[in-house]
Amino acid sequence: MNQYLLSSIDKAAEVIGKTWPLYTFVASNPLSGYEKATFLDAVSSAHKQFNANAFPAAHIYRQALEKEDIDLKVLVHLLKENGLSECPEKYLKLLEGHQADEEVNGTHNVDRLMVKWLSAFMDEGLAEWEMPYKSEGFYTAWRLLVIYDSELGATSLKEIPKTSAAALNQLLSELPESDYVEIFSHQMAALPGWTGYIKHRTESNSDWQQEFPINLMDYLAVRLWISKKMNVPILPEGNEAHSDSFLLKLQYIWLKAWEQSWQNQLVISLENGANITQFKGEPALADAQMVFCIDTRSELIRRHVESAGNYETFGYAGFFGIAMDYQSLEDGISRKSCPPIVASAYTVSESAQVDKKGQFLSYEKKNERMGFWDYFLKRMKNMLPSAFGYVEGSGVFYGLSLLARTIIPGSIYRKKQKNLSQMEAICQPDIMNITQKTTDLPNVSLEEKVSIVKSAFDLMGWKEFAPLVLFVGHGSHSANNPFGSSLDCGACAASPGRHNARMLAKLANLLHVRKALAEIHEVFIPENTLFLGAEHNTTTDEIVLFDSEAPETHQMLIEDLKVNLWKAQQSATKNRLGTNGDSLSKAQEKANNWGETRPEWGLAKNAGFIVGRRELTKNTNLDSRCFLHSYDWELDTTGKALESIMQGPMVVTQWINSHYYFSTVDNNAYGGGSKITHNITGKFGVVQGNGGDLKIGLPLQSLYSSDNDMYHQPLRLTVTIQAPINRVADILERNNHLKSLLDNEWIYLLVMDPEQKNKVFKYKNSLKWEVASRTKYSGTQKTFHASTLTELAV
Amino acid sequence: MIPQTNAHLSSIQNGMDKTIDAKKSIAVPLVTIINWSLFLGNAIFLVFNYPNIPEWNWAGIFRINGFTILIWTTVTIFSSIVCSYASNYLTGFKYHARFMWLCLGFTLAVMLLVMANHVFLLIFSWWIMGVFMSQLIGIDKAWGEAREASKFTLRYFITGTFFLAIGLLILAFFSGQFTVSGLSTAVSGLPLYILIPSALSIIAAAVVQSAMYPFHRWLLSAMTAPTPASALMHAGFVNGAGILLTLFAGLLFASNTFSILFVIGGFTAIIAQFTKLLQVNVKQKLGCSTIAQMGFMIMQCGLGFFNAAVVHLILHGFYKAYLFLSSGEEIAQTKPERPKPLRIRPLQGVVVLLFGGLGAYLFASWTGKGLLLNSGLLLTIIVAITVGQATYNIVKEQSLSIMQKIVVPPLLFMVGIGIYALIYNGVTVLMAGMAKVSEPLPLTSTQIIFGAIFLIGFFIMKLGVYKKFPWVYVKLMNLSQPNKKSVLMYKSKSI
Ligand SMILES: [Zn+2]
Repeated sequence: MNQYLLSSIDKAAEVIGKTWPLYTFVASNPLSGYEKATFLDAVSSAHKQFNANAFPAAHIYRQALEKEDIDLKVLVHLLKENGLSECPEKYLKLLEGHQADEEVNGTHNVDRLMVKWLSAFMDEGLAEWEMPYKSEGFYTAWRLLVIYDSELGATSLKEIPKTSAAALNQLLSELPESDYVEIFSHQMAALPGWTGYIKHRTESNSDWQQEFPINLMDYLAVRLWISKKMNVPILPEGNEAHSDSFLLKLQYIWLKAWEQSWQNQLVISLENGANITQFKGEPALADAQMVFCIDTRSELIRRHVESAGNYETFGYAGFFGIAMDYQSLEDGISRKSCPPIVASAYTVSESAQVDKKGQFLSYEKKNERMGFWDYFLKRMKNMLPSAFGYVEGSGVFYGLSLLARTIIPGSIYRKKQKNLSQMEAICQPDIMNITQKTTDLPNVSLEEKVSIVKSAFDLMGWKEFAPLVLFVGHGSHSANNPFGSSLDCGACAASPGRHNARMLAKLANLLHVRKALAEIHEVFIPENTLFLGAEHNTTTDEIVLFDSEAPETHQMLIEDLKVNLWKAQQSATKNRLGTNGDSLSKAQEKANNWGETRPEWGLAKNAGFIVGRRELTKNTNLDSRCFLHSYDWELDTTGKALESIMQGPMVVTQWINSHYYFSTVDNNAYGGGSKITHNITGKFGVVQGNGGDLKIGLPLQSLYSSDNDMYHQPLRLTVTIQAPINRVADILERNNHLKSLLDNEWIYLLVMDPEQKNKVFKYKNSLKWEVASRTKYSGTQKTFHASTLTELAV
Repeated sequence: MIPQTNAHLSSIQNGMDKTIDAKKSIAVPLVTIINWSLFLGNAIFLVFNYPNIPEWNWAGIFRINGFTILIWTTVTIFSSIVCSYASNYLTGFKYHARFMWLCLGFTLAVMLLVMANHVFLLIFSWWIMGVFMSQLIGIDKAWGEAREASKFTLRYFITGTFFLAIGLLILAFFSGQFTVSGLSTAVSGLPLYILIPSALSIIAAAVVQSAMYPFHRWLLSAMTAPTPASALMHAGFVNGAGILLTLFAGLLFASNTFSILFVIGGFTAIIAQFTKLLQVNVKQKLGCSTIAQMGFMIMQCGLGFFNAAVVHLILHGFYKAYLFLSSGEEIAQTKPERPKPLRIRPLQGVVVLLFGGLGAYLFASWTGKGLLLNSGLLLTIIVAITVGQATYNIVKEQSLSIMQKIVVPPLLFMVGIGIYALIYNGVTVLMAGMAKVSEPLPLTSTQIIFGAIFLIGFFIMKLGVYKKFPWVYVKLMNLSQPNKKSVLMYKSKSI
């Protein structure tokens, strides 16, 4: 095989983002292929490649300016710094004068035919009658079928080479090899959603990929062959998207001004937090401690839980440090339940709790019957002539369901909730090594178990244990929502985090684990401390405890806690939904209303990642805009814990942040477009209307409060770490990829140095820092003092 | 209380949902309330006056009878549900208000259609109904493909109106009768060379509206409409054919054009049901299902059972509206599965036959069709096979106990057939004032041949033989592609 061909395909594919299936919606940077370049270079290249906007639209900037999210002084200063001395309004008008619009798609017919074949081939079970010859791979199946395709004109099998490599060699024989990369990237960029999904399938080697292989070479071969047959040129004819570099620069300045305005506010609030802490003594031991995911939505519920009683909260990545896949009892499928950048080491599955074998068996039986019922209805609907009889016999029931789901979604939800954690009440999670999941022996060594538990407490900087410690995963409830998994836990690869939480609680409760922790690592867990798994429902702010195995001794504590969590739920939903009425019913209705396109806001508005003690942020309403990771610089003398946080959670939050950014600035190209015209394809994705390219990102309704009004503010992530600056600098020096994210301006970094009176420093290029503290000016917060930006080399 | 040291960090979120609510146009609650009031008014009127619905005529322009009230109740419940759903679903959509007005316009157009007695009014309502629907399909004017889809579908609707106008005007000018009621008595005296072309034209109008092959493509190109509009289209708009054919049942009798309906409907039902099997997009799959169900409805008309067709259009409306409104539920992680070969044991076979026969008997007696040798027999056979299929699936399922296998099938089919029969008889009573809407026809050879084809289709599907013909797959795939210009025709141009 032609090696040059292969390497050209790989090279061209580098800049194509991966399209994730909606059942595990992973937030990733669609421009991750460009991360080696600076932000500005990356967005201008992507702008050319995908013909997509790189910055927020002018009217979004105007909204930000009117709401004073962009500080006018900051903006004027930045403009001046770049030699632009006219008033901002004039530049905004200039930006507003350039509108994105529509043009006729020159490769319309080729694109359309490709989508026809790709969607038929890549279907994951929506169609009863699958594409013939599918198991022979995309190219072969297409080749054997296309001879019947009247849309392409008469074709004989002999005309078409037998393999995709042969086809490409033949089709490209008259072209210089140096053109390959350009041709390929142009062809892939024509349908970035579908090619991204091919990329995802080949890289994840999913069950579907193993049975029905497809790769980018197949795609290119088919596409070039069709193009040739239809006489469509394979290279763009000159009129490529050109970008006006002045406009890009102007847009970039506005973005920076917006980001800086927000950072200024953040710094003030963190410095206030640091000051308050100094006056307080050591707090009394809490009645219960709760660990939440670093997710931005945890910020709100933590505030409300803390004010509902004597509780301490922590932030930790929501997969709770267990690199696992979770095998569901409902359908037997194993799903990844840890960050996509982490390879799964374990499989967690369920078994009956002691004395609950009978209930376990009947639960399994029930699942089996539910599975049959689904199959039964599908058969009845699909077959001739039962499809007609079925509609007549069941129509009335559909009518009643129509009415019920439209009129009383809230009541139905409350009824359904009653038996929701049924499984957790009769099962317990078991952990196994992933390679040996076929044998039933739990074969994870004590050492590994101890290290999972220990690293949790290390990373969070844990000092003392309350009698009750909760690991609170999170999951979201919404009805009729193709993007449901985008609202679940990002750290669990878009699964709800409840099973990871239960697993960690079980490990931490094991006596031999505790013994080893005390003997080897000097982590002393009091005998009366009980660990429990729980889940925060981010749509209704309910926290469900999985306490069916809790001992009698803790019942009182748990009952108290439940009462207070209910209070926290009340106040949290009131705060979040901005209503004084029955906020709980409203939230429950949103969770189950099939006409609701905005059941909750997910991670929208995320802008910051704060690594430090809770005291820094405890007295501030951060408006669910920050990821919060607990960290105590004093306990982490070696800096190992901080390094892990920066390598793991920090990178993941950057993915999420970039995903939100790009989905917002060009919702059609990088996002999902509007939900109201979505059409689910192949059980894994959505297309718009009658069909087209696979959508790759978040829908409009997850980002905008209306077609034109923003909700998410597209700002790059500002990471703030409370630790000695030298420690952070050392870590950056050791981890080149982290440093390059900073140097290329994909994220910002602020360091609050507790050894320098909590002074705040902002990272500048190549390990240089500038002072960003603002406390001195607390009397005149709105004034921007450029003179304080003295550069400091560390 | 939660202290807020910094107001600016949290300035916007609180009350965000409120601001969205406040931005909703007055049209949204207004149209929703109008629709629900119309529905409740009709439903209450229907309940209190059943079974003797008063007839009302006005100057040969309007007439209202049991059938009118029935259809009014049906269409208003669909549009009420769609409006309530859309109140949430379209929040923030820039054309939300426009959507509501179009919905209301469409509902009123259907109401006008069933109360129109003057042929001009009937033609007008048919036309305006199509205009409203195509406006809903292309409601997002900034979206090129939606504009193309709107234009494309409107061409079909205008063609349909054109056929309708031809058919009605031939009749009206020849007989001098310009009312629907007048025409239904006049047709018996008209010559065949008038009856046949006008019946064919009216049939053409009906099959365009119901997206029968070869006029099916508009329905598969209409997914640019927001989901609730699709629900309305599949539950309300495509049904127009059933209503139209019922109104002109007398003409079809006089011109003896039943076989045409039966063949078009039956043929489309089979093709569309097969085409449905290979759809990979959920809305196109539902679209094919609708075409098949409409085919069946037209087939029922072709058998002379207009009342059965009306029942079918109502029940199918519920079914399809539900499936569209919940079409976001199709995302799921799955594994490739090979179908397991299934063998039925003799005893199970006996149970299947027994229950199938019992189902047929209950259906025939509860709906009053009897087991005589006429066109009703075909419908009874379909019920028998359906019950047999349901029983077959249940008895071979291993997770069920013997007891469940014996009890569940009769329970299911008795409830299903019972409720169906209840509605069927209710609708028949309401339609009693209309001419010849439930007359079984003598069994013809066409019916027998097509009934056989239907059975063969069933066996082909059952045995999965169709999967051995790749060329059929490609033909059906191409047959169900949306209009070219409504997919990937445009691309965005960034600044
Ligand atoms: Zn999470």
